[in-house]
Amino acid sequence: MSLAKPAMRGLLGKRLRFHLPIAFALPLVAAAAFKYGVTEPRKQAYANFYKQYDTTAEFNNIREAGVFESVRPTGK
Amino acid sequence: MFRAAVRLSVSGARSLTWTRLGCTAPLAQRCYSHGGKQETDDEFDARWVNYFNKADIDAWELRKGMNTLIGYDLVPEPKILDAALRACRRLDDLASAIRILEAVKDKSGPHKDIYPYLIQELRPTVDELGISTPEELGMDKL
Repeated sequence: MSLAKPAMRGLLGKRLRFHLPIAFALPLVAAAAFKYGVTEPRKQAYANFYKQYDTTAEFNNIREAGVFESVRPTGK
Repeated sequence: MFRAAVRLSVSGARSLTWTRLGCTAPLAQRCYSHGGKQETDDEFDARWVNYFNKADIDAWELRKGMNTLIGYDLVPEPKILDAALRACRRLDDLASAIRILEAVKDKSGPHKDIYPYLIQELRPTVDELGISTPEELGMDKL
C-alpha cells in the first residue's frame, strides 16, 4: 500500500492564516470582556457610592469618635 | 506571506480576508518582489533540482542550497531531495545526506504523514546511494 502525496507547501502560511486572526481577536475580546465585566461595574459602584455620600455627616461621625486632632468631639 | 504577517502585527488590525499583494496561495513562499512574473511550483522545483544537479557543485554550495531551501515555507519535493542526495554522493558527504533526511522530517512539523511519504519516494535513491535513514541508525530517538 503506497502512501498518497500529502500537502507539502504553504503549511506555515495556512497555520498563520488560521491562528493569527484568532491571536488578535481573542485578546481584544478578553480586554473588552474585562473592561465591561469588571472595570466598568467597579467604576459604577464607586460613582454610585459617592453620589449618595454625605461628606458633612461622615465628618461629624468621625469627629464624635474622637479620632481627629484638629477638632474635638462636640461633647453633646 | 510573511510580509503580510508583519504588516498585520504592526498595524494591529485584524482581518479575516488576507490581502497578500497579488500573491495567491500556491505561490506562498515568494511574495516580496512584485512586478515580475510569479514563479510556479514546477519552475521553483526545476530551479532547485538544477541547482543540486550541478556536476561540480562544491560543499559550500550544497550547504548554502540546503539552508536556503529549508528556510522556505514548504517541504522540498522528493525530486529536489533526490538531486541534493546525489550531490552529497558526489561530494562524499554521507553526514550531510543523513542530515538532509533529518531536516525534512523536522520541517514537516506536526504533519506526520509527510516524512513517510518522502522516504517512500526516496527509497530507490537512498538504497542506490547506500544512505542509512536516521531511523535505521537509531538517531531519531533522543
